[in-house]
Amino acid sequence: MPTSATSKRHELLILDTGPIRELVLFHAISEFRFERLRAHLRFIDDAESYRRCSEFVASYSNRLTTSAGVVVELYHWIRETDERGRNKLWGRVYDEFRNMGINEEVVKLLHMDPTFIVRYGPVDGSLLELARRHLPRNPLILTADWPFHGECTKSGFRVSHLDQITARTA
Amino acid sequence: MAANAEAPPPRSNRVQAWVYAILNPLIESLRRELQLLPRGNLSWRFYSRKCEYIRPIVEYIDGDQLPNLEDFLADRLNEGFASYFDVHDSNLSVLETSAAVFFDGLTHSRRFLNEVEKAFDEYKARSEGKPLYPDPALIERDLPKYVAEYLINKVELLPSHYMTHKFWEEFRNRFELSVAEFEPYGERESFQKFRQSVLTLNGISQELLGGLEQHRYGLCSTYDIPAAPLPVNASHGVDAYIRNK
Repeated sequence: MPTSATSKRHELLILDTGPIRELVLFHAISEFRFERLRAHLRFIDDAESYRRCSEFVASYSNRLTTSAGVVVELYHWIRETDERGRNKLWGRVYDEFRNMGINEEVVKLLHMDPTFIVRYGPVDGSLLELARRHLPRNPLILTADWPFHGECTKSGFRVSHLDQITARTA
Repeated sequence: MAANAEAPPPRSNRVQAWVYAILNPLIESLRRELQLLPRGNLSWRFYSRKCEYIRPIVEYIDGDQLPNLEDFLADRLNEGFASYFDVHDSNLSVLETSAAVFFDGLTHSRRFLNEVEKAFDEYKARSEGKPLYPDPALIERDLPKYVAEYLINKVELLPSHYMTHKFWEEFRNRFELSVAEFEPYGERESFQKFRQSVLTLNGISQELLGGLEQHRYGLCSTYDIPAAPLPVNASHGVDAYIRNK
């Protein structure tokens, strides 16, 4: 498992909502002092874990996520935060997408395996469809959701959990 | 109609609304401004030509609390703050405009564009066969704009996962140190105006923050209200302002 941008660059990283949310949050707190958001952090809780995650993402030359699924999940999360900070959080999400060079790919319902939808719901289902679609590029899915991590493993896709990336032993 | 002729009663709901919905968010936001401004971290963005996290006063208040802001500004107990807020906002506008003028000057300077192009060519050459360097093709578009934005925001290091991380790590000094106040790019004057506008807003925000903190203390002690709403079950009957969110 790659742990940092060392000597080798990997081809394709597929990002679930959790890692994007954590990167957005930590940057908002550390750079722009939105201390109230600290309570929303679950995995990236200090500069060291942020660095580990950032280097992990950097070790992939292409970053991909699925719109509108992940974007809608970000929308639901931001809706639960303080109203006053919502436009700023959206600003951070836009900045993060732009700065990371994330590509967005739409996965149509009719292109998803109905069994995926039944088992995982539309967001996880579309991430798995992305992984299936890009299989020749040996993609890795990065998530902050253990049940989804288990499903990816069971389905034979490469997957890492944010916890594994940010842990001091990573 | 005359502004409030009678002083509010102790533990007045109106005064609590001013403290919790107006003064507290403004104090928090201005404290943040005062952490960003001295570092030059303006969060100015070339695509919006605005500072993302330093905003006009009204944007620091929840939309549904704007009637309380209007009430706050209308009451003579809070006299003087309307003009304070105007001064803050007009100086923020001066800062954003001066940043935009400096940005436009830089990104139209042939010398600056050549410098960015030269750095980019070197980056391309260095990146050949080196997987650590993000693909040059992914950073080429808008690179002069990003460089100018980073200079405006005094960005030192970018997170590793940003596409321009490696470029900025290796070439930042060339843009910052090889020029004295951007004179070679013909932008000394616009840079000085911009820098002055940052200092001015910093002074105004400091003064405003001091005024708001003092005013909050005055209202809380005069009307016997806590500076933040107490949890409902610990309020012991205090008519606490409760957010129903």
